[in-house]
Amino acid sequence: MRHALLIAAFAALALPAQAFAHATLERTSPAFEQRLSTSPRIVTLRFDQYIEGLPHAIRLYSAHGELPVPRIRTDGRALIASVPKLRRGGYTIRWHALSGDGHVVSGVFTFGVRAKAPAPTEAFGASGPTRTEDVVRWLYFLSLALVVGGLGFRLLVARRRLPDRFFALTGVGVFATLNVGIAAFLLRAEDALQLPFGRLLYGDLSPIARTRFGTAFVAMTLGFSAVAALLFLAWLTDRDVFLWPAFLIGLCFVSGLSLSGHSAAAAGSSWKSALADWAHLAAACLWIGGLVQLVVVVWPLLPELRRPALVAFSRLATVCVGVLLLAGVYLAILRLPRLSDLWTTGYGQILLVKIALVALAFAWGGLHKLRAVPVVARDGTVPRLRASLAGESMIGMIVLLVAAFLVNAKPPA
Amino acid sequence: MQPPSEHVHWLFATGVLLLGLCLLAEAVVGTEVWRRRAWRAYLWPGLAFTLGVFMWPVMTFYTNSTIHMLAHGAWAEVLMIAGAVELALVRGKLHSPAWRLTMAAAFLVSGSAFLVHEQNVWFFQRSSLLHHLLGWTLVAAAVFPLARSVRPRSQAAAAGFALTFVVLAVFLYCDRDVAPVFGHLSPLAGPPHR
Repeated sequence: MRHALLIAAFAALALPAQAFAHATLERTSPAFEQRLSTSPRIVTLRFDQYIEGLPHAIRLYSAHGELPVPRIRTDGRALIASVPKLRRGGYTIRWHALSGDGHVVSGVFTFGVRAKAPAPTEAFGASGPTRTEDVVRWLYFLSLALVVGGLGFRLLVARRRLPDRFFALTGVGVFATLNVGIAAFLLRAEDALQLPFGRLLYGDLSPIARTRFGTAFVAMTLGFSAVAALLFLAWLTDRDVFLWPAFLIGLCFVSGLSLSGHSAAAAGSSWKSALADWAHLAAACLWIGGLVQLVVVVWPLLPELRRPALVAFSRLATVCVGVLLLAGVYLAILRLPRLSDLWTTGYGQILLVKIALVALAFAWGGLHKLRAVPVVARDGTVPRLRASLAGESMIGMIVLLVAAFLVNAKPPA
Repeated sequence: MQPPSEHVHWLFATGVLLLGLCLLAEAVVGTEVWRRRAWRAYLWPGLAFTLGVFMWPVMTFYTNSTIHMLAHGAWAEVLMIAGAVELALVRGKLHSPAWRLTMAAAFLVSGSAFLVHEQNVWFFQRSSLLHHLLGWTLVAAAVFPLARSVRPRSQAAAAGFALTFVVLAVFLYCDRDVAPVFGHLSPLAGPPHR
């Protein structure tokens, strides 16, 4: 028995690497998102190992629904389907195949015939962002605020060492950014692939990774993993030199959301709209994240820092509010060219709610600046100011929730 | 342009081997001698942390299946956190010996990720065997960091901990090995293409 097990173990070790896992799609014809000048006669999917065909292994969809695929055959590592003559338009291919390891691997890709191919996230059957995605995007905004706002507060406002709670809060933010980013990517992939969870585990995500959203996900994951490392080194070595690059990378990679959002994707977008979106989000993160640091770190742990921190933060918040207003107004005009769009479209209505909440937050912040800051500068404290600052930050977080709904909503054409 | 997955496995296997050899050297000569040069104390935790940071690009660029992406993400986080905690203990930023349990937890999480992401039986193919071996080795070897947290001076725990990494490195080298010495036997694989 022992010998048999040993032989089996060595035999298993000797199996070739090409059979190491489930089949991976190596290339397709037409290629992902390729624009063709004529209708293709066949669609070919080539894998890295032998696969077996399954019923309806390739399904073809136009923008209006499924099209018949007369013949599907396997040829070693390739899956080949004959397709009817296709008219001008965008097409979606959904495929699945039985891999050598017994798993059903699946995927989706798109191409266009004399037209631009839709993005895989807009493939036929994809329903677009769900409520879960709205919540996940909100959590993403909150995490970004904790990281970028926290680092901004430490470097621009406090300008001195803060207790470990600062690092704990910012560290939670950076790991949440990484994990919530993965969740957002998988939710988008689930919608594009239209697969139940069990089969999604073996779903090919590479077409999604090549979209604008996927590129932003890759860039932000790499950027924030670097931020995590730098933040940890700053804590470990007590050296501020690591904090500045962490802050700048974090601030820079906040733009990942802008580059994958409406400002970059919508018609009429330009580098100016992407820049405005980045400035809008960066200012919001600095404001809300800074408030959280003020309430959670400075107020309970550093009474001697309350006065200078509040005065300095008040200056930073004024700049942030200015940037938020300018960028916000510019983006609103860009996306809603007619004033009536504000109350006649779903996008406009969400924007109205956001404007109302932002106005409340600005009023609250203004009250702090005009009433509380002078008193704190003179007497050193104001009763229940911490609770009031917490209230302002809560309003800011609710604004981020509405912003998450807004980003996932489609502006009127 | 992505490097073949076996190259990435070999790269990480080399990192894990270095880590294991550092720990083995410390176990052989004793902690006192090993730490006569202060920087040596940071060597293996630093390696673990760096391997964690470098695992993130693997997660983001190898997206041919969800389950692999999730497993690589879990290993990235676990390596970073476990390395960071050990670095902080060496530096004196963390004091409680309970923090040493982080490494045991990291072993358990990493092992579970190996076992969950391998859906086939042990002898289905080479990588299945190795994934099961990697997974169960990590789960079983969690006893060594656990023992180190209770008895920091135990030679057996230190040696077992170090050898675990050496064994893991060997498994990782074999996991994606396409060298001709292993032959090319399976009809599933088709003609050799490398």
